[in-house]
Amino acid sequence: MEQNIELLLDNCIDEIRKGKSVDECLANYPQYANQLKPLLQLAEQIENLPLPNPSFESLSSALINIGKEMEWDAATTEIPEAIVTSQRDVKGFAAPMKKRKSFSILSRRYPFGNVFRRPKLVWALSSFLFFAVIFGAVTVSANSVPGDILYPLKLVTEKVNFLLTFDSYGKAELRLNFSDKRLNELVEVFQQSNTLDTTLLKDMLDEAKLALEENEIPVEKASILTAKLNHISAYQKTVLENIRPAVQTSDRRIVDEAINMCNMRSGWMRRMNEEYQEQFNEQDTTPQSQTPHRKKQQPKRMQWGPDCDWME
Amino acid sequence: MKGKTKDLTDEELHQFVEKAKTNDNRAIGKLCEHFYSKIYRFIYYRVNSIDDAEDLTSDVCLRVIKSLPEQKGLFYAWIFRIASNVITDYYRRRAVRSNVTSIGDLIEEMVDERRTTGELLEQQELRQAIKHLTEEQQQVIVLKFIEGYDTDEVAELVGKSAGAVRAIQFRALTALRNIFASDMYIRKDRKG
Repeated sequence: MEQNIELLLDNCIDEIRKGKSVDECLANYPQYANQLKPLLQLAEQIENLPLPNPSFESLSSALINIGKEMEWDAATTEIPEAIVTSQRDVKGFAAPMKKRKSFSILSRRYPFGNVFRRPKLVWALSSFLFFAVIFGAVTVSANSVPGDILYPLKLVTEKVNFLLTFDSYGKAELRLNFSDKRLNELVEVFQQSNTLDTTLLKDMLDEAKLALEENEIPVEKASILTAKLNHISAYQKTVLENIRPAVQTSDRRIVDEAINMCNMRSGWMRRMNEEYQEQFNEQDTTPQSQTPHRKKQQPKRMQWGPDCDWME
Repeated sequence: MKGKTKDLTDEELHQFVEKAKTNDNRAIGKLCEHFYSKIYRFIYYRVNSIDDAEDLTSDVCLRVIKSLPEQKGLFYAWIFRIASNVITDYYRRRAVRSNVTSIGDLIEEMVDERRTTGELLEQQELRQAIKHLTEEQQQVIVLKFIEGYDTDEVAELVGKSAGAVRAIQFRALTALRNIFASDMYIRKDRKG
Protein backbone atom coordinates (compact mmCIF):
# COMPACT_ATOMS: atom_id res chain seq x y z
CA MET A 1 0.00 0.00 0.00
CA GLU A 2 2.73 2.45 1.11
CA GLN A 3 4.92 1.37 -1.79
CA ASN A 4 2.06 2.06 -4.11
CA ILE A 5 1.20 5.47 -2.80
CA GLU A 6 4.86 6.56 -2.95
CA LEU A 7 4.99 5.43 -6.57
CA LEU A 8 1.66 7.06 -7.36
CA LEU A 9 2.85 10.33 -5.83
CA ASP A 10 5.99 10.21 -7.94
CA ASN A 11 4.02 9.43 -11.09
CA CYS A 12 1.67 12.33 -10.40
CA ILE A 13 4.61 14.69 -9.90
CA ASP A 14 6.02 13.59 -13.24
CA GLU A 15 2.68 14.13 -14.95
CA ILE A 16 2.26 17.58 -13.38
CA ARG A 17 5.71 18.46 -14.67
CA LYS A 18 4.59 17.43 -18.12
CA GLY A 19 1.71 19.90 -17.91
CA LYS A 20 -1.20 18.17 -16.23
CA SER A 21 -3.05 19.79 -13.35
CA VAL A 22 -3.26 18.22 -9.88
CA ASP A 23 -6.91 17.40 -10.35
CA GLU A 24 -6.30 15.77 -13.74
CA CYS A 25 -3.69 13.53 -12.19
CA LEU A 26 -5.85 12.64 -9.23
CA ALA A 27 -8.71 11.72 -11.52
CA ASN A 28 -6.72 8.60 -12.41
CA TYR A 29 -6.40 7.60 -8.74
CA PRO A 30 -9.64 8.63 -7.06
CA GLN A 31 -9.17 6.27 -4.11
CA TYR A 32 -5.93 8.12 -3.11
CA ALA A 33 -7.05 11.61 -4.06
CA ASN A 34 -7.57 12.84 -0.50
CA GLN A 35 -4.19 11.62 0.56
CA LEU A 36 -2.26 12.74 -2.50
CA LYS A 37 -3.84 16.12 -3.11
CA PRO A 38 -2.21 18.07 -0.26
CA LEU A 39 1.15 16.47 -1.03
CA LEU A 40 0.95 17.37 -4.70
CA GLN A 41 -0.11 20.89 -3.88
CA LEU A 42 2.89 21.21 -1.59
CA ALA A 43 5.19 19.81 -4.26
CA GLU A 44 3.81 22.35 -6.72
CA GLN A 45 4.29 25.16 -4.22
CA ILE A 46 7.89 24.15 -3.62
CA GLU A 47 8.57 24.00 -7.35
CA ASN A 48 7.12 27.48 -7.70
CA LEU A 49 9.36 28.96 -5.03
CA PRO A 50 11.61 31.65 -6.46
CA LEU A 51 15.14 30.32 -6.86
CA PRO A 52 17.56 31.66 -4.32
CA ASN A 53 20.66 32.77 -6.17
CA PRO A 54 24.08 33.69 -4.84
CA SER A 55 25.31 37.24 -5.27
CA PHE A 56 27.92 38.15 -7.85
CA GLU A 57 30.21 39.25 -5.01
CA SER A 58 29.96 35.81 -3.48
CA LEU A 59 30.81 34.03 -6.72
CA SER A 60 33.62 36.46 -7.50
CA SER A 61 35.22 36.18 -4.11
CA ALA A 62 34.94 32.39 -4.27
CA LEU A 63 36.69 32.37 -7.64
CA ILE A 64 39.35 34.75 -6.39
CA ASN A 65 39.95 32.51 -3.39
CA ILE A 66 40.21 29.51 -5.65
CA GLY A 67 42.57 31.47 -7.87
CA LYS A 68 44.79 32.25 -4.92
CA GLU A 69 44.77 28.67 -3.73
CA MET A 70 45.51 27.31 -7.16
CA GLU A 71 48.04 30.06 -7.89
CA TRP A 72 46.47 31.01 -11.14
CA ASP A 73 48.84 32.93 -13.27
CA ALA A 74 46.84 35.82 -14.61
CA ALA A 75 49.63 36.83 -16.94
CA THR A 76 49.45 33.65 -18.95
CA THR A 77 45.93 32.37 -18.57
CA GLU A 78 42.45 33.55 -19.18
CA ILE A 79 40.54 35.03 -16.26
CA PRO A 80 37.36 33.06 -15.58
CA GLU A 81 34.40 34.62 -17.30
CA ALA A 82 32.44 34.88 -14.06
CA ILE A 83 35.05 37.14 -12.53
CA VAL A 84 35.12 39.35 -15.59
CA THR A 85 31.34 39.55 -15.49
CA SER A 86 31.24 40.31 -11.82
CA GLN A 87 33.92 42.96 -12.22
CA ARG A 88 31.78 44.54 -14.84
CA ASP A 89 28.69 44.39 -12.68
CA VAL A 90 29.96 44.86 -9.17
CA LYS A 91 31.86 47.92 -8.07
CA GLY A 92 34.96 47.41 -6.03
CA PHE A 93 36.08 44.10 -7.44
CA ALA A 94 38.73 45.39 -9.78
CA ALA A 95 41.14 45.95 -6.92
CA PRO A 96 41.25 42.36 -5.65
CA MET A 97 41.83 41.11 -9.17
CA LYS A 98 44.76 43.43 -9.75
CA LYS A 99 46.18 42.39 -6.43
CA ARG A 100 45.93 38.74 -7.32
CA LYS A 101 47.64 39.36 -10.64
CA SER A 102 50.62 41.04 -9.08
CA PHE A 103 50.88 38.37 -6.37
CA SER A 104 50.88 35.74 -9.02
CA ILE A 105 53.74 37.40 -10.83
CA LEU A 106 55.62 37.79 -7.57
CA SER A 107 55.29 34.14 -6.70
CA ARG A 108 56.54 33.14 -10.13
CA ARG A 109 59.64 35.28 -10.03
CA TYR A 110 60.64 35.17 -6.41
CA PRO A 111 60.93 32.12 -4.18
CA PHE A 112 59.35 33.98 -1.25
CA GLY A 113 56.49 35.41 -3.31
CA ASN A 114 53.94 33.64 -1.09
CA VAL A 115 54.88 35.92 1.78
CA PHE A 116 53.29 38.79 -0.09
CA ARG A 117 49.95 37.02 -0.08
CA ARG A 118 49.52 37.71 3.64
CA PRO A 119 48.67 41.36 4.29
CA LYS A 120 49.42 41.15 8.02
CA LEU A 121 52.82 39.61 7.35
CA VAL A 122 53.54 42.21 4.69
CA TRP A 123 52.58 44.94 7.13
CA ALA A 124 54.74 43.47 9.88
CA LEU A 125 57.68 43.06 7.50
CA SER A 126 57.28 46.60 6.17
CA SER A 127 57.17 48.01 9.68
CA PHE A 128 60.19 45.95 10.68
CA LEU A 129 62.13 47.07 7.61
CA PHE A 130 61.14 50.69 8.18
CA PHE A 131 62.35 50.67 11.77
CA ALA A 132 65.43 48.65 10.84
CA VAL A 133 66.38 51.25 8.22
CA ILE A 134 65.76 54.12 10.63
CA PHE A 135 67.70 52.39 13.40
CA GLY A 136 70.54 51.57 11.00
CA ALA A 137 70.70 55.13 9.70
CA VAL A 138 70.71 56.58 13.21
CA THR A 139 73.46 54.16 14.28
CA VAL A 140 75.61 54.93 11.25
CA SER A 141 74.97 58.65 11.60
CA ALA A 142 76.46 58.56 15.12
CA ASN A 143 79.92 58.46 13.54
CA SER A 144 79.23 61.10 10.93
CA VAL A 145 80.93 64.51 10.79
CA PRO A 146 79.89 67.80 9.17
CA GLY A 147 79.73 67.33 5.40
CA ASP A 148 78.45 63.74 5.64
CA ILE A 149 74.96 62.99 4.30
CA LEU A 150 73.87 61.54 7.63
CA TYR A 151 75.20 64.35 9.80
CA PRO A 152 71.86 66.28 9.85
CA LEU A 153 70.19 63.05 11.03
CA LYS A 154 72.71 62.87 13.85
CA LEU A 155 71.80 66.41 14.98
CA VAL A 156 68.07 65.68 14.71
CA THR A 157 68.52 62.50 16.75
CA GLU A 158 70.33 64.53 19.42
CA LYS A 159 67.53 67.08 19.49
CA VAL A 160 64.87 64.40 19.77
CA ASN A 161 66.84 62.71 22.51
CA PHE A 162 67.13 66.03 24.34
CA LEU A 163 63.42 66.81 23.97
CA LEU A 164 62.50 63.38 25.30
CA THR A 165 64.61 63.91 28.42
CA PHE A 166 62.61 65.63 31.11
CA ASP A 167 64.84 65.99 34.17
CA SER A 168 67.36 68.81 34.37
CA TYR A 169 70.30 66.64 35.37
CA GLY A 170 69.63 64.31 32.41
CA LYS A 171 69.51 67.30 30.07
CA ALA A 172 72.76 68.65 31.53
CA GLU A 173 74.46 65.29 31.01
CA LEU A 174 73.22 65.22 27.42
CA ARG A 175 74.70 68.68 26.89
CA LEU A 176 78.05 67.39 28.13
CA ASN A 177 77.72 64.43 25.80
CA PHE A 178 76.99 66.75 22.84
CA SER A 179 79.94 68.93 23.79
CA ASP A 180 82.19 65.87 23.79
CA LYS A 181 80.84 64.78 20.39
CA ARG A 182 81.54 68.22 18.89
CA LEU A 183 85.13 67.96 20.10
CA ASN A 184 85.54 64.53 18.49
CA GLU A 185 84.03 65.84 15.25
CA LEU A 186 86.32 68.86 15.35
CA VAL A 187 89.38 66.61 15.70
CA GLU A 188 88.23 64.29 12.92
CA VAL A 189 87.51 67.16 10.53
CA PHE A 190 90.87 68.67 11.42
CA GLN A 191 92.66 65.40 10.71
CA GLN A 192 90.86 65.01 7.38
CA SER A 193 91.22 68.57 6.05
CA ASN A 194 93.72 70.25 8.34
CA THR A 195 91.27 73.09 8.88
CA LEU A 196 89.72 74.23 12.12
CA ASP A 197 85.93 74.13 12.09
CA THR A 198 85.19 77.13 14.28
CA THR A 199 81.46 76.35 14.28
CA LEU A 200 82.16 73.00 15.93
CA LEU A 201 84.49 74.69 18.40
CA LYS A 202 81.81 77.23 19.29
CA ASP A 203 79.17 74.49 19.61
CA MET A 204 81.47 72.47 21.84
CA LEU A 205 81.92 75.38 24.25
CA ASP A 206 78.25 76.41 24.07
CA GLU A 207 76.98 72.93 24.92
CA ALA A 208 79.26 72.81 27.95
CA LYS A 209 78.08 76.26 29.00
CA LEU A 210 74.41 75.31 28.59
CA ALA A 211 74.95 72.18 30.66
CA LEU A 212 75.56 74.32 33.72
CA GLU A 213 72.63 76.56 32.96
CA GLU A 214 70.07 73.79 33.33
CA ASN A 215 67.79 74.80 36.20
CA GLU A 216 66.51 72.68 39.05
CA ILE A 217 69.53 70.39 39.43
CA PRO A 218 69.46 68.92 42.97
CA VAL A 219 72.45 69.86 45.13
CA GLU A 220 73.65 66.29 45.54
CA LYS A 221 73.85 65.93 41.75
CA ALA A 222 75.27 69.40 41.20
CA SER A 223 78.63 68.31 42.65
CA ILE A 224 78.74 65.37 40.21
CA LEU A 225 77.95 67.71 37.35
CA THR A 226 80.64 70.19 38.33
CA ALA A 227 83.15 67.34 38.62
CA LYS A 228 82.26 66.15 35.15
CA LEU A 229 82.45 69.67 33.75
CA ASN A 230 85.83 70.11 35.35
CA HIS A 231 87.03 66.90 33.77
CA ILE A 232 85.56 67.68 30.33
CA SER A 233 86.90 71.23 30.28
CA ALA A 234 90.37 69.95 31.22
CA TYR A 235 90.17 67.30 28.53
CA GLN A 236 89.03 69.82 25.91
CA LYS A 237 91.90 72.11 26.88
CA THR A 238 94.40 69.24 26.47
CA VAL A 239 93.04 68.23 23.07
CA LEU A 240 93.04 71.81 21.80
CA GLU A 241 96.61 72.31 23.02
CA ASN A 242 97.63 69.19 21.10
CA ILE A 243 96.19 70.36 17.80
CA ARG A 244 97.20 73.99 18.23
CA PRO A 245 100.66 73.67 16.61
CA ALA A 246 99.09 72.26 13.45
CA VAL A 247 96.37 74.90 13.23
CA GLN A 248 96.80 77.61 10.62
CA THR A 249 98.22 80.83 12.02
CA SER A 250 95.04 82.75 11.31
CA ASP A 251 93.03 80.35 13.51
CA ARG A 252 95.50 80.14 16.37
CA ARG A 253 94.03 83.15 18.20
CA ILE A 254 90.64 81.41 18.33
CA VAL A 255 92.21 78.20 19.56
CA ASP A 256 94.12 80.12 22.22
CA GLU A 257 90.94 81.80 23.40
CA ALA A 258 89.18 78.43 23.56
CA ILE A 259 92.10 76.86 25.48
CA ASN A 260 92.08 79.77 27.90
CA MET A 261 88.35 79.45 28.42
CA CYS A 262 88.50 75.68 28.99
CA ASN A 263 91.27 76.32 31.49
CA MET A 264 89.19 78.91 33.36
CA ARG A 265 86.10 76.71 33.27
CA SER A 266 88.05 73.79 34.60
CA GLY A 267 89.42 75.89 37.47
CA TRP A 268 86.00 77.39 38.23
CA MET A 269 84.36 74.01 38.31
CA ARG A 270 87.13 72.60 40.50
CA ARG A 271 86.58 75.37 43.05
CA MET A 272 82.84 75.00 42.87
CA ASN A 273 83.14 71.30 43.44
CA GLU A 274 85.35 71.88 46.47
CA GLU A 275 82.68 74.18 47.91
CA TYR A 276 80.08 71.49 47.49
CA GLN A 277 82.30 68.96 49.18
CA GLU A 278 82.80 71.28 52.14
CA GLN A 279 79.05 71.83 52.42
CA PHE A 280 78.43 68.10 52.43
CA ASN A 281 81.12 67.54 55.03
CA GLU A 282 79.56 70.17 57.30
CA GLN A 283 76.14 68.64 56.94
CA ASP A 284 77.47 65.19 57.73
CA THR A 285 79.15 66.34 60.96
CA THR A 286 76.03 68.21 62.19
CA PRO A 287 74.22 66.05 64.80
CA GLN A 288 70.83 64.77 63.68
CA SER A 289 69.22 66.01 66.90
CA GLN A 290 70.07 69.60 66.03
CA THR A 291 68.29 69.36 62.75
CA PRO A 292 65.20 67.37 63.55
CA HIS A 293 63.26 68.84 60.66
CA ARG A 294 65.98 68.98 58.14
CA LYS A 295 64.70 70.73 55.06
CA LYS A 296 64.96 69.05 51.75
CA GLN A 297 67.87 70.52 49.88
CA GLN A 298 66.69 73.03 47.33
CA PRO A 299 67.89 72.83 43.76
CA LYS A 300 70.84 75.08 43.17
CA ARG A 301 71.18 77.49 40.32
CA MET A 302 74.76 77.19 39.12
CA GLN A 303 76.71 79.75 37.15
CA TRP A 304 80.01 79.98 35.41
CA GLY A 305 82.62 82.35 36.81
CA PRO A 306 83.73 85.56 35.10
CA ASP A 307 85.40 85.21 31.69
CA CYS A 308 83.99 81.72 31.21
CA ASP A 309 81.67 82.80 28.37
CA TRP A 310 82.66 82.09 24.79
CA MET A 311 83.39 85.29 22.90
CA GLU A 312 82.92 85.38 19.15
CA MET B 1 13.46 21.43 -14.20
CA LYS B 2 13.81 25.04 -13.20
CA GLY B 3 17.10 24.77 -11.30
CA LYS B 4 18.83 22.57 -13.81
CA THR B 5 21.67 24.29 -15.51
CA LYS B 6 21.21 24.06 -19.22
CA ASP B 7 24.35 25.69 -20.51
CA LEU B 8 26.47 22.51 -20.32
CA THR B 9 25.61 19.10 -21.70
CA ASP B 10 26.81 16.02 -19.87
CA GLU B 11 29.53 15.58 -22.47
CA GLU B 12 30.68 19.20 -22.10
CA LEU B 13 30.61 18.88 -18.33
CA HIS B 14 32.76 15.75 -18.53
CA GLN B 15 35.24 17.56 -20.78
CA PHE B 16 35.46 20.54 -18.42
CA VAL B 17 35.97 18.25 -15.44
CA GLU B 18 38.78 16.40 -17.20
CA LYS B 19 40.44 19.67 -18.22
CA ALA B 20 40.01 21.10 -14.74
CA LYS B 21 41.77 18.05 -13.35
CA THR B 22 44.84 19.11 -15.32
CA ASN B 23 44.69 22.57 -13.69
CA ASP B 24 43.23 24.24 -16.76
CA ASN B 25 42.21 27.56 -15.23
CA ARG B 26 39.56 28.31 -17.80
CA ALA B 27 37.90 24.96 -17.23
CA ILE B 28 38.07 25.45 -13.46
CA GLY B 29 36.44 28.86 -13.79
CA LYS B 30 33.74 27.53 -16.06
CA LEU B 31 33.03 24.60 -13.76
CA CYS B 32 32.74 26.87 -10.73
CA GLU B 33 30.35 29.13 -12.58
CA HIS B 34 28.34 26.10 -13.56
CA PHE B 35 27.89 24.45 -10.19
CA TYR B 36 28.14 27.44 -7.83
CA SER B 37 24.42 28.30 -7.92
CA LYS B 38 23.40 24.67 -7.53
CA ILE B 39 25.56 24.23 -4.48
CA TYR B 40 24.36 27.53 -3.08
CA ARG B 41 20.71 26.48 -3.36
CA PHE B 42 21.51 23.06 -1.96
CA ILE B 43 23.08 24.73 1.08
CA TYR B 44 20.64 27.63 1.32
CA TYR B 45 17.77 25.43 2.48
CA ARG B 46 19.87 23.84 5.15
CA VAL B 47 21.46 26.77 6.95
CA ASN B 48 20.01 29.76 8.69
CA SER B 49 21.46 32.73 6.86
CA ILE B 50 22.38 33.87 3.37
CA ASP B 51 25.86 34.83 4.58
CA ASP B 52 26.47 31.36 5.92
CA ALA B 53 25.13 29.84 2.70
CA GLU B 54 27.55 31.94 0.64
CA ASP B 55 30.50 31.19 2.86
CA LEU B 56 29.82 27.48 2.82
CA THR B 57 29.29 27.49 -0.93
CA SER B 58 32.64 29.17 -1.36
CA ASP B 59 34.16 26.57 0.92
CA VAL B 60 32.60 23.74 -1.09
CA CYS B 61 33.93 25.22 -4.34
CA LEU B 62 37.41 25.36 -2.94
CA ARG B 63 37.23 21.79 -1.69
CA VAL B 64 35.83 20.61 -5.01
CA ILE B 65 38.61 22.24 -6.99
CA LYS B 66 41.32 21.03 -4.62
CA SER B 67 40.00 17.47 -4.66
CA LEU B 68 39.30 17.35 -8.39
CA PRO B 69 42.19 14.99 -9.20
CA GLU B 70 40.60 12.40 -6.90
CA GLN B 71 37.11 12.78 -8.40
CA LYS B 72 35.51 9.62 -9.72
CA GLY B 73 31.99 8.72 -10.81
CA LEU B 74 29.11 11.10 -11.24
CA PHE B 75 30.38 14.64 -10.89
CA TYR B 76 27.30 16.15 -9.27
CA ALA B 77 26.84 13.25 -6.87
CA TRP B 78 30.41 13.90 -5.78
CA ILE B 79 30.01 17.64 -5.24
CA PHE B 80 26.69 17.24 -3.40
CA ARG B 81 28.42 14.77 -1.12
CA ILE B 82 31.15 17.33 -0.45
CA ALA B 83 28.47 19.95 0.19
CA SER B 84 26.73 17.63 2.65
CA ASN B 85 30.01 17.08 4.49
CA VAL B 86 30.61 20.82 4.66
CA ILE B 87 27.13 21.37 6.08
CA THR B 88 27.67 18.61 8.63
CA ASP B 89 30.95 20.24 9.68
CA TYR B 90 29.18 23.58 9.89
CA TYR B 91 26.58 22.28 12.30
CA ARG B 92 29.15 20.34 14.26
CA ARG B 93 31.19 23.50 14.66
CA ARG B 94 28.25 25.59 15.66
CA ALA B 95 26.68 22.81 17.70
CA VAL B 96 23.40 23.60 16.06
CA ARG B 97 21.07 20.85 15.02
CA SER B 98 19.93 21.13 11.44
CA ASN B 99 16.79 19.09 11.89
CA VAL B 100 13.55 20.21 13.41
CA THR B 101 13.43 19.53 17.11
CA SER B 102 9.95 20.48 17.93
CA ILE B 103 7.03 21.44 15.80
CA GLY B 104 6.04 23.91 18.50
CA ASP B 105 9.32 25.82 17.99
CA LEU B 106 8.80 25.83 14.26
CA ILE B 107 5.29 27.15 14.57
CA GLU B 108 6.51 29.92 16.85
CA GLU B 109 9.13 30.88 14.25
CA MET B 110 6.48 30.94 11.55
CA VAL B 111 4.14 33.08 13.63
CA ASP B 112 6.98 35.50 14.38
CA GLU B 113 7.87 35.75 10.71
CA ARG B 114 4.27 36.42 9.83
CA ARG B 115 4.18 39.28 12.28
CA THR B 116 7.30 40.87 10.86
CA THR B 117 6.96 40.40 7.13
CA GLY B 118 3.37 40.04 6.07
CA GLU B 119 4.50 39.54 2.46
CA LEU B 120 5.45 36.35 0.65
CA LEU B 121 4.18 34.60 3.71
CA GLU B 122 3.65 31.19 2.18
CA GLN B 123 7.01 31.17 0.48
CA GLN B 124 8.81 32.05 3.65
CA GLU B 125 6.87 29.53 5.65
CA LEU B 126 7.63 26.89 3.08
CA ARG B 127 11.35 27.70 3.03
CA GLN B 128 11.43 27.70 6.77
CA ALA B 129 9.60 24.40 6.93
CA ILE B 130 12.01 22.76 4.46
CA LYS B 131 14.90 23.76 6.70
CA HIS B 132 13.32 21.73 9.45
CA LEU B 133 13.14 18.46 7.55
CA THR B 134 15.69 15.74 8.14
CA GLU B 135 18.95 15.91 6.25
CA GLU B 136 18.08 13.28 3.65
CA GLN B 137 14.56 14.70 3.22
CA GLN B 138 16.04 18.15 2.57
CA GLN B 139 18.45 16.70 0.03
CA VAL B 140 15.70 14.96 -1.89
CA ILE B 141 13.29 17.91 -1.76
CA VAL B 142 15.92 20.39 -2.91
CA LEU B 143 17.25 18.18 -5.69
CA LYS B 144 13.85 17.11 -6.86
CA PHE B 145 11.77 20.29 -6.57
CA ILE B 146 14.29 23.12 -6.45
CA GLU B 147 16.93 21.76 -8.82
CA GLY B 148 14.38 19.91 -10.93
CA TYR B 149 16.00 16.49 -11.20
CA ASP B 150 13.78 13.47 -11.78
CA THR B 151 13.62 10.59 -9.32
CA ASP B 152 16.24 8.43 -11.05
CA GLU B 153 18.68 11.35 -11.21
CA VAL B 154 18.12 12.18 -7.55
CA ALA B 155 18.70 8.53 -6.69
CA GLU B 156 21.99 8.63 -8.54
CA LEU B 157 23.04 11.89 -6.88
CA VAL B 158 22.29 10.79 -3.34
CA GLY B 159 23.49 7.25 -3.86
CA LYS B 160 20.18 5.54 -3.09
CA SER B 161 17.69 3.49 -5.05
CA ALA B 162 14.80 5.17 -6.84
CA GLY B 163 12.40 3.40 -4.47
CA ALA B 164 14.22 4.81 -1.45
CA VAL B 165 14.08 8.28 -2.96
CA ARG B 166 10.32 7.93 -3.57
CA ALA B 167 9.86 6.88 0.05
CA ILE B 168 11.92 9.81 1.32
CA GLN B 169 10.01 12.16 -0.97
CA PHE B 170 6.70 10.87 0.34
CA ARG B 171 7.78 11.19 3.97
CA ALA B 172 9.19 14.67 3.39
CA LEU B 173 6.00 15.97 1.79
CA THR B 174 3.92 14.32 4.50
CA ALA B 175 6.10 15.96 7.17
CA LEU B 176 5.66 19.33 5.52
CA ARG B 177 1.91 18.80 5.33
CA ASN B 178 1.87 17.94 9.04
CA ILE B 179 3.84 21.03 9.88
CA PHE B 180 1.41 23.22 7.99
CA ALA B 181 -1.59 21.38 9.40
CA SER B 182 -0.31 22.03 12.92
CA ASP B 183 0.32 25.64 12.01
CA MET B 184 -3.23 26.05 10.73
CA TYR B 185 -4.55 24.38 13.84
CA ILE B 186 -2.58 26.83 15.97
CA ARG B 187 -3.80 29.75 13.89
CA LYS B 188 -7.44 28.66 14.26
CA ASP B 189 -6.87 28.00 17.92
CA ARG B 190 -5.48 31.51 18.46
CA LYS B 191 -8.30 33.10 16.50
CA GLY B 192 -10.87 31.07 18.47
